[in-house]
Amino acid sequence: MLDFYAHTLADYAAVALGMAMAMLIIFQVLVRLGVKREAATGYALILPWLLGFIIWTAYPILASLYYSFTNYNVFQPPRWVGLDNYIRWLTNDRSFWPSLRLTLLYGLISLPIGLALSLGVAMLLARSVHGVGVWRTIYYLPAVIPAVATILLWRWLLGSEGLFNQIMSPVYRLIGMDKPSWFVDERYALPGLIIMSLWGVFGANTVILLAGLKNIPVHLYEAVELDGGGAWAKFRHVTLPMVSPTLFYTLVLGVIAAVKTFEPGIFIKLNSLSTGTFLQVLVYGNAFAGGNSRMGYASALGWIMLVIIMVLTLLVFRSSALWVYYEGERK
Amino acid sequence: MATVSTPIPPKTALGASGIGSMKTRRTVSDIITYVLLAFGALVVLIPLLWMISTSLKTESELFLLPVRLFPEVPQWNNYIDVWRIQPFTLFFLNTIFITLLAMGGEIMTCSLVAYGFARFRFPGRDALFMIMLGTMMLPGIVTLIPTFLIWRGFERIDTFTPLTVGALFAWGPAYIFLLRQFFLTIPREVEEAATIDGANTLQTFFRIMLPLVKPALLAIAVLSFSGNWNNFQGPLIYINTPAKYPVILALYSFSESLSKEAPKWHYMMAMTVIMSLPIIALYFAAQRYFIEGLTVGAVKG
Repeated sequence: MLDFYAHTLADYAAVALGMAMAMLIIFQVLVRLGVKREAATGYALILPWLLGFIIWTAYPILASLYYSFTNYNVFQPPRWVGLDNYIRWLTNDRSFWPSLRLTLLYGLISLPIGLALSLGVAMLLARSVHGVGVWRTIYYLPAVIPAVATILLWRWLLGSEGLFNQIMSPVYRLIGMDKPSWFVDERYALPGLIIMSLWGVFGANTVILLAGLKNIPVHLYEAVELDGGGAWAKFRHVTLPMVSPTLFYTLVLGVIAAVKTFEPGIFIKLNSLSTGTFLQVLVYGNAFAGGNSRMGYASALGWIMLVIIMVLTLLVFRSSALWVYYEGERK
Repeated sequence: MATVSTPIPPKTALGASGIGSMKTRRTVSDIITYVLLAFGALVVLIPLLWMISTSLKTESELFLLPVRLFPEVPQWNNYIDVWRIQPFTLFFLNTIFITLLAMGGEIMTCSLVAYGFARFRFPGRDALFMIMLGTMMLPGIVTLIPTFLIWRGFERIDTFTPLTVGALFAWGPAYIFLLRQFFLTIPREVEEAATIDGANTLQTFFRIMLPLVKPALLAIAVLSFSGNWNNFQGPLIYINTPAKYPVILALYSFSESLSKEAPKWHYMMAMTVIMSLPIIALYFAAQRYFIEGLTVGAVKG
């Protein structure tokens, strides 16, 4: 019954053995060809990554670019259709634009709020409080829990009769608003997703930012005090510039992660025509779910996502000259 | 990005200026700090407590008002029921099998590659290293479909092979980066001494270098373990037969029933607890390494 374990082990052993052989052969061949032993050893050692890069990154990227210009349903060979897939997402697919909007808004709203919260908590923890370890352990917990568990938990918490609405009901009464049915009512789907993501990730960013804050030399704060600066001056002129490289790092990773969001869109059924769903869910839906797989169109969507990520990352990198302070020159 | 910052003087705590005249202001702001921290901790812990308490409730208690944090009588047999609904023993075996193979492959090959990048000079090394770091930014989605088609070409759909064998190709640029940082801190004399004693490259690597970067290996081990344990998209795409499900797919298939009438949230939460417990246990046992792995890229990078 468990022979599929054996099959996997056989595959695994074969590839591992093949990899070891390939490394030895590359080394021998390079040495025979007159390459220095040190260089030959280096090439042999990085071979697993190099092969992996060619097989699992370079080739797939080019292949998916090719597929994006074809009509391909796996059972028949790909048929060249030119720009059809790219034109179609502009005109025909009514779930594309809502999904693009949802994915971008989700990132644009949850990232700044999340980073501000994380920085706030990290600054509290950096104030030489008692039991930093305990606080850090607690705050980091949500980041350890499987993302899928977090999503299921929040789907339960944000039900219309769920705990969140119960706790918040005095607030709702105060501002005269009805209990939102978070993931059912399309007006509240995005806020619900953002609340969920804030709970899930802010702990990880807090730990990263805390490490950044701990690296700020204390004499910088003393200098501000000598100049008569208060708490705000310390924050504005020491904390913020000194922690900006770390903020930059978390921002870049956050942008990529936001565009790539997948699990929430699978575990929470969103109306892809009105609310939209996450772009990655659209790719999955077109390629793998349902009867006829549209690999070509899904590849085009994947490429659009890649371009979006590249543009956003580039913008963040470009903007970094304005706000990220590198002290690297001090070395 | 790949430079190691200089060591920081130890006295660095923020705001710990210790000026006596500001004592009262300090106490007030301390109180505010602790109140805020405690509020944040509640925000983190209440949902988790709710997950556990829901998993111990009866079906009729689920939507009871007013809300009660603790069930009347903890229904421990919810966990037994869940085990009866789905063969969790098998799902756990599947998950552990996939996770351990993938983790082993990642640690082995990433450490070899990191050693190659850290210690050996060869033409094109720095360019290749930058390319490797660049792949960190690449969304997996553009490679997903061709990768699926490759495995389909090898007739390996609905097997564990796509989820495990790929790890032998040094998955994880972040792991390679982290290990390389550690290898760079080891003085070259260590290897030179080993070479003089007649050890070859592989012996030096396994007997001397690997033990020296043990903290980094453990950091990668916990990251890789939780990454593979929590991997959802891979199994979703590659595994079809229920007997081959890892735990996460069992959760997914059960969650489909929640949109129907009488959703069994107590069972769902019990399954969620079951799935999360091993990772949480690992976190408490090896917290240091989780944080090490998380912060090395940000602060040393």
